[in-house]
Amino acid sequence: MHEISLQQLQKNKTQMMTLFVSIGITMIFALVAMGFGSSKNLDFLTSMKILLGIQESTGLQSDILWNLRFPRILMALVGGAALAMAGAMMQGCLGNPLVSPLTLGVASGAALGAALAIVLDLTLVSIPELAIVANAFLFSLIVVFIIIKLGSMRSVSKESYILIGIAITFIAGAIVSTLQYFATDAQLSQLAHWSFGSLSRPNLTNVLWISVVVITLFPSGLKSAWDLNALSIGGDDFAISTGVNPVKTRKSILVLSAFLTSVVIAFTGLIGFVGLAAPHMSRLVIGNDYRKLIPCSAVFGAFLTLFADTLGRTLFAPIVIPVGVMLSIIGGPFFMYLLLNNRGA
Amino acid sequence: MNSLLHVQNLGFHWGKRKVLDEVQFEIQAGEFVAILGENGAGKSTLLKCINKILKPSYGEISLNGKNVQSMDIIEISKHISYVPQSISSQFSMSVFDVVMLGRRPHITWSVGKNDLEKVSKTLKFLGLEDFAFRKFDQLSGGERQRVIIAKAVAQDASLLLFDEPTSDLDLKNQIQIMKKINTLVSRENEVQVSALVAIHDINMAARFADRILLLHEGSILQQGTPSNVLTETNLSKVFGVTCEIEAKTETTPLRIIVKDEMDGEEK
Repeated sequence: MHEISLQQLQKNKTQMMTLFVSIGITMIFALVAMGFGSSKNLDFLTSMKILLGIQESTGLQSDILWNLRFPRILMALVGGAALAMAGAMMQGCLGNPLVSPLTLGVASGAALGAALAIVLDLTLVSIPELAIVANAFLFSLIVVFIIIKLGSMRSVSKESYILIGIAITFIAGAIVSTLQYFATDAQLSQLAHWSFGSLSRPNLTNVLWISVVVITLFPSGLKSAWDLNALSIGGDDFAISTGVNPVKTRKSILVLSAFLTSVVIAFTGLIGFVGLAAPHMSRLVIGNDYRKLIPCSAVFGAFLTLFADTLGRTLFAPIVIPVGVMLSIIGGPFFMYLLLNNRGA
Repeated sequence: MNSLLHVQNLGFHWGKRKVLDEVQFEIQAGEFVAILGENGAGKSTLLKCINKILKPSYGEISLNGKNVQSMDIIEISKHISYVPQSISSQFSMSVFDVVMLGRRPHITWSVGKNDLEKVSKTLKFLGLEDFAFRKFDQLSGGERQRVIIAKAVAQDASLLLFDEPTSDLDLKNQIQIMKKINTLVSRENEVQVSALVAIHDINMAARFADRILLLHEGSILQQGTPSNVLTETNLSKVFGVTCEIEAKTETTPLRIIVKDEMDGEEK
């Protein structure tokens, strides 16, 4: 075999090793995170002993571990992975590093749906616990539908998607502001709480369903890795010359990304930063080949979200700082450090 | 000789503006054909129509007897490779990975040993071995152009389309790139390669091309060997310049010395 081929194989091997080590670290951290919490009945050591099968758990301890901490941690992993994967794919298909899952206005649609449910009680489902989630999901799906329609137009460009997303954000934002203006104090508080983004809202059944959806959609994203490579590196003409249909690919990727985003934020509220930061951190570590970037972004997104949430619920326990806030506080400076450090190198 | 590409009565309109009209020509397997013409003559549009990047308003393009419009993009990319003037991106990859994109039409997801070897050999052929693991965006213009050509070569296509491959390059790089294209066309390959090159430099076209298509206002004014097409009359009509032609000898190629622009009346 040629020397360059061997070097490339070695490079691939190193990158795969990095990916597996990252998965391992994230899994270990998830286990450790199960030990953190404000309950006096279940300290860190007891949690670890129960999880490792060294000690039997009481009913209350079991309830805390499996009905409170486990759904939250699984939601952090799945939600972070989905948003990061969506961000990476959207950046690639729109050829723009500033794009995040919130760029297309999906989150604004969800916020509008939530606001309509909270302020006007305008919902599709009568079950109070699900009313906000259902509305948020429905309105984010309306945005996805607009994206599909937009993608069917022949003349639509990459920039059009971003500009339409900005327009949707402004329109939805204006309606939400109007609703806030007429809302009561209690409704305002509920709306603000929704917008912070929290992993404690979905219960175990919700999280398991979200996990099934995200895991089912993951291979579709991975399947488009070559197309994303061609689109992100050379633009539309270059992509066509390598056998990629840019219009069709962009449409399917954007719908997939928007759907992943909708599924997560309908339950958690606004968690945006991970979808921008995790793909860029992955690019610095593993490069821009989407065959590795998509899984790596998912792992980094999962870790980042879990780390932020764990810090948010232990730093000032029993006060819990919402994960959306924590992600921006700790992720922002770290993200800036990585980018500046890489540029200097 | 077999006709590789057959363009019949091709027309393309941007809205009401006629860009190409009644364009008709053939390319044989193993031919080096240059497209010359003034700015806006339709050179790039013609290449993009052949590669299905643009849809012609009328006419037919056949590749090995098959209508290109009826072929899907992946099938076309197995036969035709397009080298744009330049590419700019917000993201970067290693040179090896960029060239590997040329194998995209031949692979589903995972890269095989043959693909790795094809890319390695192509990098060696284009003198890019030392750049294999450097970032594409850290290369000079000439090096980037060679990488994009390497991607096209790795694609194993029988027809290579080049859109002004030398426009941003210095003299040495221009010669190097044209020589490489010439070598590709003339060397013994598993697949016989033809090249259709849109170019501004008439002397480069005269030196390397087997045939020239001279485009003027969207139509082919004349096509044939460089000596037949590159006449003072044709060049003054297309480019609006006066020039002197030095005939080809055994040691020197046909040479065109541009003297001055013509005023409106003369043209």
